[in-house]
Amino acid sequence: MQGAPFADRARVDALEKVLGKPIYGADMPLPGMLHAITVPARIAKGRMTALPIESAMRVKGVVRVFTPDDFGPAPVPPAGRYAPPPPMLIWDITFRGQPVALVVAETLEAAIEAAEVIRPEFEEQPFSVLADADNGVVRDAVDDVAAGNTMAELARAAIVIDQTYTSPTQHHNTMELLSTTAVWAEGRLTVHEGTQRSSGVQHDLARALGIDPAIIEVKSAYVGGGFGQRGPTQCQTAIVARAAMILGRPVKLVTPRSQIFHVATYRPMSVHRIRLGADAEGRMVAVRHDAEQEQSRLGMDPPPDRYHDAPPRIYGIPNYLGTSTYLRLDRQNPGFMRCPHPQPALFAFESAIDEMAIALGRDPVEFRLANGATTDPLTGNPLSSRFLDECLAEGARRFGWEQRNPLPRSMTAADGTQIGWGVAAGAYPSMMVPSIASFRVSADGSARIALSGHEMGQGIRTAIAQAVLKHIDIDAERLEIAIGDTSRAPQHITVGSWGTAGAVPAAEAAARRMRARLIELLDGRNVAGNAHRQLAAVRRPYLDVEVAQTAPGQDREEALSALRRGGYAVGGPEYPGFTAMSYIAHFVEVRIEPRTRRIRVPRVVSIADCGRVISPRTARSQIYGGVVWAISATLREETEIDPRFGGYLNCDFADYVVAVNADIADIEVGLIDKPDPMANESGLKGLGEVVMAGGSAAIANAIHHATGVRVRHLPIRIEDLL
Amino acid sequence: MQPIRYIRPSTVREAIAAHASLGDGARYIAGGTTLYDLMKLNIERPTGLVDVTFIEGLETIDTSGDTLRFGANARMADVATDPIVQSQYPVLSEALSKAASQQLRNMATVGANLLQRTRCMYFRNGYGGASGGAADYPCNKRIPGSGCAAIGGLDRGQAVLGVSDACTAVSPGDWPVALVAMDARIEVAGPGGERMLPISELYPLPGETPHIEFTLEPSEIIVGIVIGKNAAGARSTYHKIRDRESFAFALASAAVALEMSGDRVNAARIALGGVATRPWRADAAEAMLIGSDLTDDLAMAAGRAAFADAVPGRSNGFKVELGARTVADAIMIAAARRPL
Amino acid sequence: MSDENSRECQHSEGFLVLSRRSALLAGASVVPTAPFVRSAKAQDAVSPLALPVSAEHSLTVRTNINGGAFEINLDARTSLLDMLREHLGLAGSKKGCDHGQCGACTVHVDGRRVASCLTLAAKVEGREVTTIEGLSDGDRLHPMQQAFIDHDALQCGYCTPGQIMAAVACVHEGNATSSERIREYMSGNICRCGAYVGIVAAIQDAAERMERG
Repeated sequence: MQGAPFADRARVDALEKVLGKPIYGADMPLPGMLHAITVPARIAKGRMTALPIESAMRVKGVVRVFTPDDFGPAPVPPAGRYAPPPPMLIWDITFRGQPVALVVAETLEAAIEAAEVIRPEFEEQPFSVLADADNGVVRDAVDDVAAGNTMAELARAAIVIDQTYTSPTQHHNTMELLSTTAVWAEGRLTVHEGTQRSSGVQHDLARALGIDPAIIEVKSAYVGGGFGQRGPTQCQTAIVARAAMILGRPVKLVTPRSQIFHVATYRPMSVHRIRLGADAEGRMVAVRHDAEQEQSRLGMDPPPDRYHDAPPRIYGIPNYLGTSTYLRLDRQNPGFMRCPHPQPALFAFESAIDEMAIALGRDPVEFRLANGATTDPLTGNPLSSRFLDECLAEGARRFGWEQRNPLPRSMTAADGTQIGWGVAAGAYPSMMVPSIASFRVSADGSARIALSGHEMGQGIRTAIAQAVLKHIDIDAERLEIAIGDTSRAPQHITVGSWGTAGAVPAAEAAARRMRARLIELLDGRNVAGNAHRQLAAVRRPYLDVEVAQTAPGQDREEALSALRRGGYAVGGPEYPGFTAMSYIAHFVEVRIEPRTRRIRVPRVVSIADCGRVISPRTARSQIYGGVVWAISATLREETEIDPRFGGYLNCDFADYVVAVNADIADIEVGLIDKPDPMANESGLKGLGEVVMAGGSAAIANAIHHATGVRVRHLPIRIEDLL
Repeated sequence: MQPIRYIRPSTVREAIAAHASLGDGARYIAGGTTLYDLMKLNIERPTGLVDVTFIEGLETIDTSGDTLRFGANARMADVATDPIVQSQYPVLSEALSKAASQQLRNMATVGANLLQRTRCMYFRNGYGGASGGAADYPCNKRIPGSGCAAIGGLDRGQAVLGVSDACTAVSPGDWPVALVAMDARIEVAGPGGERMLPISELYPLPGETPHIEFTLEPSEIIVGIVIGKNAAGARSTYHKIRDRESFAFALASAAVALEMSGDRVNAARIALGGVATRPWRADAAEAMLIGSDLTDDLAMAAGRAAFADAVPGRSNGFKVELGARTVADAIMIAAARRPL
Repeated sequence: MSDENSRECQHSEGFLVLSRRSALLAGASVVPTAPFVRSAKAQDAVSPLALPVSAEHSLTVRTNINGGAFEINLDARTSLLDMLREHLGLAGSKKGCDHGQCGACTVHVDGRRVASCLTLAAKVEGREVTTIEGLSDGDRLHPMQQAFIDHDALQCGYCTPGQIMAAVACVHEGNATSSERIREYMSGNICRCGAYVGIVAAIQDAAERMERG
């Protein structure tokens, strides 16, 4: 069922992008547009007792200041984890920076000026924002993840590594600021917004505003970076939509970056204690992984038990015990940030693997190869495909791993620069979501396919084009790919690396069906030319097909219904009879300056197994991006919280330090490109998350090799090596 | 940001008059990379701006005589790439080219850059209801007498030299550090005429009045920077250690210029950035080098001498060690350069 | 652009001179109805976008954008970026931080790259501004744009206009002579997707083509 590898093709929306033409959420020009800005709370917990707006209303150009009195009570949350109630303006304050008022004005300058003169009064209550600050933390454990008899096997193990690793709070910081442009006209609400979940936003808005979802359209054709932050309905969306409905004019809010830190989701700080046991022969036999993670008082996502998604499915370790605890604090909801669970979990686990290899005197590549796996210990089912060994072997070859002196501090340059080579593996669940694709080919030379998907730069448009063009000869230049638009097709949330697995098999099926319909239509006639010519020849202006697809094992009706309702319907990684995971191997060279101890990463080789590669060029770019994210998360990024105040202190791009161009040197990437025989018709597995998985450990392992210093927290900074 | 009136004079005299005419809320603005930025954060609240960048003749770079003279409006990017500056005074060129980004160096002027305000997060991040974020921290620079949240707070980026009980905010610039090392003088024009000011006198210590960051009068305008030509310039460097490789403020930096005969150091100019509340001249480090044969160990000892008086806080203690090593590396880099 | 607006622009002659029609169309093509291009004359008309600030806090900026002369009445606080995006419909320049920290708003003023978010619009009086909309020559891409496509030097595309404007300037400045130098001189432009490898390759490629061309 899975054919030959796909050919290289340029990103289909690259031309528009180099011309600056795509319309992102805040780019839609509309006559009569009003500009809005939110006023944040300056306490971490308590109640707003007064909100004087007279001085703001006196600012020239101000149209209206919205307060909690303009909003009803927040709607009751619906069932399902991915649909928290969209925030409205309310008097109770549960985190610092919560919006308490919305200023709407004729100009942006007037809106900002007015927001600055609003001085709400608050009654503050005691609060706790850091897990290590005081006893205000509530520990909230969820069910264990278990396979085998871990504690007994650890007690019997010949050698046990027992270490604790910490990953900090980090913020996504997509380049595009979070924004909403809302238009209420002729009884319909149209929202332009960069979201990864258009239909979810549509239905959340309907609940929040008490209107029929059928009169709401959410358009998110281009997203200026998602990384998970645009999965939940954003803080400002319903507030802006209500303002637009009341005022009868389009309203645009572009959230300042400093406020985004305070109102949007973030990667929560997490702590991972790993106990890893090996027997006398050096075979790993058992892992206990205690994971705990920051969470708001009432939040559910991200669920901490998912830290146990990846570690048990990399090596053949039969016994696994994972515990999982929320640390509840007075913060806004955290969320999913690129490679959400495996990033911190594998920094811990793959560092521990390195520590174990060193303790056993084994080469860390050879040690990993010797602990290969075919089975998912959590289910007992086979892994659908696991080409990690191929990734490790190919990466080692390209990197020149055999030249490595295994001893730490053994590879020092003439000027005293310490050189270290590190390796780590990564894995990420390969999941799949339902999709409804409608495809039209026209005799006039055009074609359009509408389906679920959000283009955040991962290249989903290009992958869809590849899928369609594989099966039918149409004019690629005139293929319109309509995604992210609730008026064109129901949109599932595009996160978790399942975008391609949702879209591509559906697009392939639609194209195959179109081809079959054309053959039927031609009825044995031999008509030269492409599908457009063929349709013209039989005097059909266009031909429509629609396909609906679900993940293996999903209840078809239930999954498609959830999709249509803006809900959540994810299949995998535990499918009936198999478990599907994507894999990667990272090889990293670090160089540590002899005196000032600056850490540089001159060279990375990363080889990924994502099953069949649909769009080679954008897939390679995904790996580059994942490696950059790993370098940035490992050596740069940490959101700083002062427990006396709450909120986030380094809330801009100057103080929240992300990797710049000068931080990135040579990165060589490769793809195994072997189709997965079970995961889906296209043989593909997810890529956008796994590309980062294990990267932090590879860097930390390289730093240990260079210096002999084992750093078990992120980010690893200059003071750790001085 | 409150409404502003904006005036675009074409001479220094007009600028001073315009400043007077706009009244108490008047400020001069050059590239705007500090002032407009802080206006957006609701920290600076001018009611009138006098744009000095349209003044003619203030952008001249003159390296022909016994001095280097930089008109205040010369762009940082242009001074950084001036051939004489690059070849004879790398400390100046490097201090400029390691600051900010090329976009900002094309905007910022070498005169107004001397008045860049601190990057202390408790100073910058907060207060403004709209674009200034959600926080609102005590800061004696922002509101005199309100206290200092950085002391006892998240102080990894704070100063270890020149601190007071009222303020530990770092002087953020690179260019002023190089100029302090080179004993630059500042040409200042005001309603009462012109005056020359040694750059070291431009920056007071915070003491009990950290809100007073510069000794200029509000009506005064920097028109030029003058440096006496010297032999140490050719054997110099600006070494800057940051949290990333580029486009970041210094964790520690050192401007070093040396005159040597053989291995012997005859004269040394050393100033520090990223670690002090003002551009910091390291006299003790200089004294340790002068008259001795330079070795790696001596450079390190000089670096340590520069931080003998350091007062670290909770989590910036590493700056004492990092700063000393930065000075030591800078000394060795400078020494390896040969005068033309 | 609708016919109505085209007529209006012509009527405004004297205040608004279009020496390069394409420059205006690039922005206006996404503006089907509103008179985004302001001239003194357009101000007289009833416009929902009229600036409600007192005269002393506003000013008229006469400038050249992508080859076209503009006279624009603005609140004096307005940034060049907001002027381009909110008043001229030139939305290719992006707001990523509004504080000069990310480079997404990079445009050229008199051929030099600047952060338009930290540039008061008032400062481009008498200057020539070039934005991403004015970089290509009609349908002919600038070599840098083509190189960004060829090397897949972009992902989400949001930082891309700023990257390209910075990259063109980087070459013109003579700072594209090695990969190390490109990395340093492109560090004012953050790409959160992490397309730096492709960006450096694209600039090296385009620099050669620009020198030949």
